[in-house]
Formats: sequence, C-alpha cells, structure tokens
Amino acid sequence: MMAYIIRRVLYTIPLVLGVCVFTFLLFDVAFPPKARAVQELGRHANEKQIQNLIHTRGWDKGLFWHGEAKGFERLTDTRFVNHMKKLLLFRFGRTQKTHEEIGRKIREGMVPSLTLTVPIFVLGLVVGICLSLGVAYFRATYLDLGAVVVCVGFMSISILVYIIAGQLLLAQYMRSFPIYGYAGGAHAARFLILPILIAVVKGLGGDVRFYRTILLEEITRDYVRTARAKGLGERLILFKHVLKNAMIPVLTRTVLAIPFLFMGSLLLENFFGIPGLGNMTVEAVANGDTQVMAAMVYLGALLFALGNLLTDISYTLVDPRVRLR
Amino acid sequence: MRELAFKWVPALGAAALLCTVLLAGCSNDPYPPAEGKKVVYGTVGEDPHGLDPVQAGDTLSGGIIAQIYDSLYEYHYLKRPYELKPCLAESLPQVSDDGLTYTIRIKKGVYFQDDPCFTKTGGRGREVTAEDFVYAIKRLADHANDPRGWWLLAGKVIGLDEFHEESVDRAAAEEEMDYGQPIEGLKALDLYTLQIRLKERFPQLKYALEMSYTAAVAGEAVKYYGEEFVNHPVGTGPFRLKEWRKRWKLVLERNPTYREEFYPDEGEPGDAEAGLLDAAGSKLPLVDEVHYTIIGDAQPSWIYFKQGYRGGSGISKDHFAEAITLNKELTDEFKRKGVRLTKFPEMVVYYVAFNMTDPVVGTNRKLRQAMSLAYDTEWRIEHFDNGRSISAQGPVPPGMFGYDPDFRNPYKQFDLERARRKLAEAGYPGGIGPDGHRLKVTYDIGRPGPAARQFALAFANDMEKLGIDVDVVTNTWAEFLRKTHEGRLQVFSVGWILDYPDPENFLQLLYGPNKAPGPNASAYDNPEFNRLFEQMKAMEDTPERLEIIRRMVDIVVEDAVWIPSTHSVSYILHHRWVKNSKPHAMTGGYLKYSDVDVELRERLRRQWNRPNYKALLMLAGALALVALLLAAFKRGWPAGSVRP
Repeated sequence: MMAYIIRRVLYTIPLVLGVCVFTFLLFDVAFPPKARAVQELGRHANEKQIQNLIHTRGWDKGLFWHGEAKGFERLTDTRFVNHMKKLLLFRFGRTQKTHEEIGRKIREGMVPSLTLTVPIFVLGLVVGICLSLGVAYFRATYLDLGAVVVCVGFMSISILVYIIAGQLLLAQYMRSFPIYGYAGGAHAARFLILPILIAVVKGLGGDVRFYRTILLEEITRDYVRTARAKGLGERLILFKHVLKNAMIPVLTRTVLAIPFLFMGSLLLENFFGIPGLGNMTVEAVANGDTQVMAAMVYLGALLFALGNLLTDISYTLVDPRVRLR
Repeated sequence: MRELAFKWVPALGAAALLCTVLLAGCSNDPYPPAEGKKVVYGTVGEDPHGLDPVQAGDTLSGGIIAQIYDSLYEYHYLKRPYELKPCLAESLPQVSDDGLTYTIRIKKGVYFQDDPCFTKTGGRGREVTAEDFVYAIKRLADHANDPRGWWLLAGKVIGLDEFHEESVDRAAAEEEMDYGQPIEGLKALDLYTLQIRLKERFPQLKYALEMSYTAAVAGEAVKYYGEEFVNHPVGTGPFRLKEWRKRWKLVLERNPTYREEFYPDEGEPGDAEAGLLDAAGSKLPLVDEVHYTIIGDAQPSWIYFKQGYRGGSGISKDHFAEAITLNKELTDEFKRKGVRLTKFPEMVVYYVAFNMTDPVVGTNRKLRQAMSLAYDTEWRIEHFDNGRSISAQGPVPPGMFGYDPDFRNPYKQFDLERARRKLAEAGYPGGIGPDGHRLKVTYDIGRPGPAARQFALAFANDMEKLGIDVDVVTNTWAEFLRKTHEGRLQVFSVGWILDYPDPENFLQLLYGPNKAPGPNASAYDNPEFNRLFEQMKAMEDTPERLEIIRRMVDIVVEDAVWIPSTHSVSYILHHRWVKNSKPHAMTGGYLKYSDVDVELRERLRRQWNRPNYKALLMLAGALALVALLLAAFKRGWPAGSVRP
C-alpha cells in the first residue's frame, strides 16, 4: 500500500507542474505587464511610474530568457522560473492591494470557509442518506414517484434561485436571519444557518436520487434475499446490511469532495458575505490580482489530486476485496 | 403498515413545531452587542485600498484614512462654499508677497495615538513636530511607496522633484531612499514651524495640505510595520483602527489620546434650524466606535438600511422607485419610517471626449459640433439617472467657483435639424463622407457591465439618427487607460471627480501639457487656452479670474472638445436617529461630528425587525400538512418480495 501511495504521489507531479505552467500562461503571458501596472497605479500614473512598477515586480524580465542577467541566471532568473518557484515552494508573495501575505490570508480565510462547508457536507450526507433510505423503503409507491419528481425539480433549479428565494423569504420577509455578513465565534451561527440550509436543500435533490439508485441496486442482491429468507425485518435489512454495502459508491463521491471543503464556496460566500476563500477568489478576480488567482488555481489542483488519492485509499478500507497495486 | 406511518406523525409534528419555535427565536441583527458603547453602523462597498496616507487615492480609502490621520488643514464641516480651517496647523499659512514661500506654524501638544511602534516611550504616542510633515511629504515623493498623490506636488516644491527622480532610480535598483537628506524647499525651521518654498505660484497648495496625502506620519510606524504599514495606521486623528478583517468588517474606535477639539458653533444659514448646531461646543468625536460592514453588493446593503442596521444610504438605480416617487419625493413607506432625504449635487462631470489627434474627429470641429447637437442629454437623465442629474454645459460643475447656472452651451441643445445641417457643413451630408462611405466612429467605454453598455448604445442610437455608425468597444479600466495613453481612442466616455474645490482641477483636463499620460485624455492643445490656464491657475478667486474662466469655457465649448454630459446629483437617505449629517463634496475626517440617538435607534430596530409570526405560523402549517400527507401513505410492496 505504501508503494501504491508513493506511486500515486509521483503521478501527481506532472499534474501539478502542468497546472503551474497553465497558470503561468494564463496569468503572466496572456495578461500583459503593462495592463496590470496601469490597473494598479490608477488615474494619475505616468509612463515612468508604470515602467518602474513593471521593473520592481520583475515583469520586464524575459519569459524564459533574461538577457540582462549574468551567467546561469539568464535561465533561472526569468518570469517563468520565478513563477514556478513561487508556487512549488508555497511562497505566494503578497496581495496587490494591501500587501498582505497571500499564505496567511489563505490560512485565515480557511476558517470561515470551513465553518460553512463542513456543516453543509455533514448535514447533506446524513440527511441525504436518511431520506434516500426512506424513499427506498417506500419504493415503487406514489411516495417514491413523488420523491423522484421533487428531486428532479430540485436538481433542475439553479442555486441562485435558492439563494435569492431563501434570502427573500427567510431573511427579508420572515426576518429570522441577517441577510448578509459574518461574525466571529458563536455569533457566526446566526449568519451560517441560512446558507447552510440553502446548500443542503439544494444538494438534496441530486444526492437523494443518487443514493436511492445505489440502495435499490443493492436491494436486489442475493444477500438481501437471504436475509429476508432468514426472517429479518425490512428495516433491519435496509439499515444494517444494505446501507453498509451501499457505502462504497457513496464514499467515492464524498471523499473526493472533502479536500474541496477547504476552498469554500464561491457563490454562497459571495452572496452571504462570508469572508472565506471563495469570497477571496471572487475578490481577486474582480481586482485582477493574478498572484492570488494563480495561488488558488494551484491549490485547487493540489486538493483535487489529494481527493483522488484519498478516494482510492478509502476504497481499500471499506472493501477488503479491493487491493491497490 | 398504517400503524408504522402514523407513528411518524407526532415526530414530524414535533419537528415542525421545533423549527418554528427556533426560527421565532432567531434574530436578524447582524451586529455583536455594543456593550454600552455608542456605535455608528455603516457599510462600504469594498475593502479600502490600504490605509497608508500616500495611497489615499480613492474616496473610500481616503475617507477612512482621514478619520485616523490629520493633515495641516481641514474643511469647515458646515460652512458653504467650502472653507479651509487649520487642523494640525495653528493658523492658515503665511504666504510671502511673491507667493512662493509658505510658513506654517504647527499646534503644540498634539500626540500620535499610542502604538507599540513607539518603542522609546514604551508604546505611548509622541508629540507631532514639523519634521513629521517633512517626512510625510518626502514619503509622498518617494516612488518606492507607490504614492497615488505625487502628481499633486510634482514640479512645485524646490528640490522635491530631484528627490523624486532619485527615488525612481533607487526604486529601480531596489535601494532605499535616504530620508535624512535636506530638501531646499521643504524644511522644519524649528520643532513647530514648517516652511515650504515653491518653484512657481501655486495657490492650490493649501488644498494639497488638507489632503490625507500630506497628513502627519510617524517614521517609527513606517519602520516598525514595514510592508504591513498599509494595514496598521498610526495617526493623530479622532479615531484609530480597532479591527480590519478583509471582506468582512472595518471597525474604528475613539482615539483616547485625541486632543481637545470641539463641534463648530457656526455654519451656513439654515443649519441651526436643521439641528446641525445642537452639538455646538461638544468635545469630539461624539461616538465611541464606527462599525463598517463590507458589503460587495447593493441589494444586501439596501436591506440593511431598510431594516435599520445602517444609518444612511445612497439610492441605487434598482431601488430608486422603491424610495422615491415620480415627483422626486420620498415614498410613503419611507416617510412613515421617518427617513430624511437630502439632494446633493456632486462635483463631478461626466463627458464624451473626442481624441483631438484623431484624423477624423480631431480635425473637424463642425463634425464634433454636429455630434454634440445630436446628443440627447435629457433622455439620458430620465432613463439612466432616474431624472436626478444636471445637464452639463461645460467642464466646471455646480458649486464650484466659475460655474454659471445660466450658461447654455450652444452645441449642447439637442436639435437634430441643426445637427444635420452642421454635419453637412462638416463634409458628411447625411453621414456620407467625401469618399462616399458612411462615417464610422469607435466609441470606447472603460467599464464592463450592462449599465455602461446601455449608456454606450444610447450614444450609438443618437448618432445613428445623424447617419453616423458607432462601433461600441467595451474595455476593462486597465485596457481603457492603456488605450488613452497610447492615443488609440477616437470617441470615449469618461468622468472626473474633483480633488480639491478649485476650477483649475477641472480645466487642467484640457490643458495641453497635461496630454497623455496626464489627465488630458482628449490631447486638446489650444495655445490660447493654455495661456489663459497658466494665468488663471495662479490666481485667487477674484472677478478677473471668473472672467478668464468664462473665456476658457467659451473656447472649449466652441471647439467642442467634449460633449459635456451630466453632473450627477446624489440622493442621500438618513434614518431619524442619525444626527449632524451634512453632505460634503470633499473627502475628509467628518465622522468625528456624527452622532446617533441610540435609544431611538434600538426602539425602531426592534419595531421593524420583529419576527414575522404570521409567516411562521404558515410555515408550521405547511410542515404539518406534509407530515399528514406522509402519514396517510401506505407502503406498497414490490412483486415477489416477502411481507415482514
């Protein structure tokens, strides 16, 4: 297993390098230094100031070849190498506007993000599985049919509609929650309930359909018939035997999502003013802060690789038949 | 199986009840308890750019920096027209007869706020001296600080330009600037006397000394915090930064060591009746804390206002009909709440500019006049600004010295017939040029987004009536600036917000030597205009100056360099509990004057934000109905399975 993990980690190296190159092309090559400098300096900037900023940021160095440097540095002191160094060593630098360390900002932003995404994840999983068990229990009835219709309806509606309807109904009309904002500590709950509720409800449609399919597939297996034959109750069969076996496909879906909890939620954080990483990314895009954007894209790629690895490992844990080679 | 289903009913019912009770117990109050402090609540649209005085370039950052840092001068809060008064200076500057030497006495006994950066005194703030202003102005000239306000003093103070040039070279070499080197025109004569010597007359210097760019800065703080100085302001102002969490909130608190300053006891006529003098003589600041929530979207901050969670608000286009009737009065809903409406002309000019170096529009005055005549401002004001703007006739906005409310720009009176005749005279009868092709111009806008786009399409629509094709190009602000610098624009729309209340600030937009990359984006260069500008800019506000400004306006109007579009008028709303609010065109430290009636605010907030019990009951009912439906359900069995 160790060998497998090491091999998998090695596999991610090309992926990570690829993402680094991609972010370089996207944020450094495609967005010319002059445009970035002008955006940063504002309306009273003159040509000299622009050139100067470009120089201090090192944007006037060659992309792959820096002619003015000496010796070997011509190859190593280029925009490309500097960009790669920054990302690979997690030295993201400072933000454009307020000169804060990006690394520290990311660590700080993770907390509000996690307070939002972890409850959504856990609640979504628990409620989704409970409801799908219920639906599977009432399978082939009008209730089942009704649940399918409701689920498909839930899936088809954009999350924006949930957000706007939730804000309008629960925050504005019923005056039960603040419409926007965040607070530290225990006060955070007041701000988080509404977005969590919205995200869980929105996720239920797809999840219930998915889990139900898995459960129904399991229900037709031989061991279920055996269990019925030996006189076990339907509820016991569902909750003990079927649920356990259905966990394997459920795991692939959920474990993959775990690393992304750290990235927060772009839409929810933006609409509810939660100062997490999703909001930070949106802000970076709005400000044209390419440093932050590159860091976030890179982190996203790393987390994706991590998610894949965790999924594979968790397989072996829940299903002894699966072996990693 | 009916028994089983019925067993769920009490559980579901209980859950529904619990939900409802929990919701009823919730509150939509977004703030932590004030703990007996007097707090003013507000919202801002985004994080400030940074709280370093040399970067106070935008109104948002500048507005917050001005609460923390004090400059030598400040504007009188109540008097109009705007009047400067001493802040950290003892009196207005003594100017030598040739207008080139300014001597400024500084108040004694003013201390910086307490901060760990003052290591020598164990964290206690030290006294402000003239050297702190010398240091601050050198910082403004030091290119390494990325100063937004260097343009203000560029070419003005003896020796400072050389300092700036050196800093540019040093910044390129990544060396630090030596702040110890003397500058001939910028000296502290003694602890409390600052002397500034100018290369040329510059009566606007006093305004420059009001801006946060030149506020007193403690060198200790800059050294102590380094790159993080933008996030750790250390000033002498009425407030100090308590907490700033990006994209979340920014909280200012009373500076406990703030000097003795008092609320003004005189204003303009009508201020006493408006209650603006009730606080006369009170010690400033009047509140303990100012709490800003950073809200990136207009909708939630509007709801904050309606729920009473912020004291004042502007009105965005989307919410205009909700608050303001067709007669430009408050709607009944807002009147009932006791909201006050203030209409305030901003010192802004929005205009369509022609690139005067362009071979088509730049060389053909009659063509520009024709396009100006076809520009329908009234329609725009009605449809884009909800009727709230003033149609601009020239570059100088209302409220500014040199603005003439009776002046009518002869080419700004919408008249299609005349426009068509002018166009024919210009060599484009019906829009067809000498080469037999239809005239085509590009129209650039510097802001993406549907509103800017609609505005641009309206221009295209106006020109189409003349037979001119308009190609609308949308740019990001950065792209737009770059095109301006490279002179690649043809016709474009821009605006200018004043920096200080002197018409020079607007007329410089047309001064030849200010061509790109300066603010003269039109690249207009008229020797007569330039000569008058040079004469006018060094004058005090006298009748002769007024006469020169009129002549300058006449010249640009005749040349039709711009199509002046509008001067916006902002509509500002305030709740009943907000006291001492008076709009001010200049950015400054006015929060120290604001006050709230906390008791009234709390009472109204509670009244407006009671949980909606009717809706809660309906919700409980709906949940109970679902429970009943489920309960009535009979479990079916798939064929072949065994009944347990």
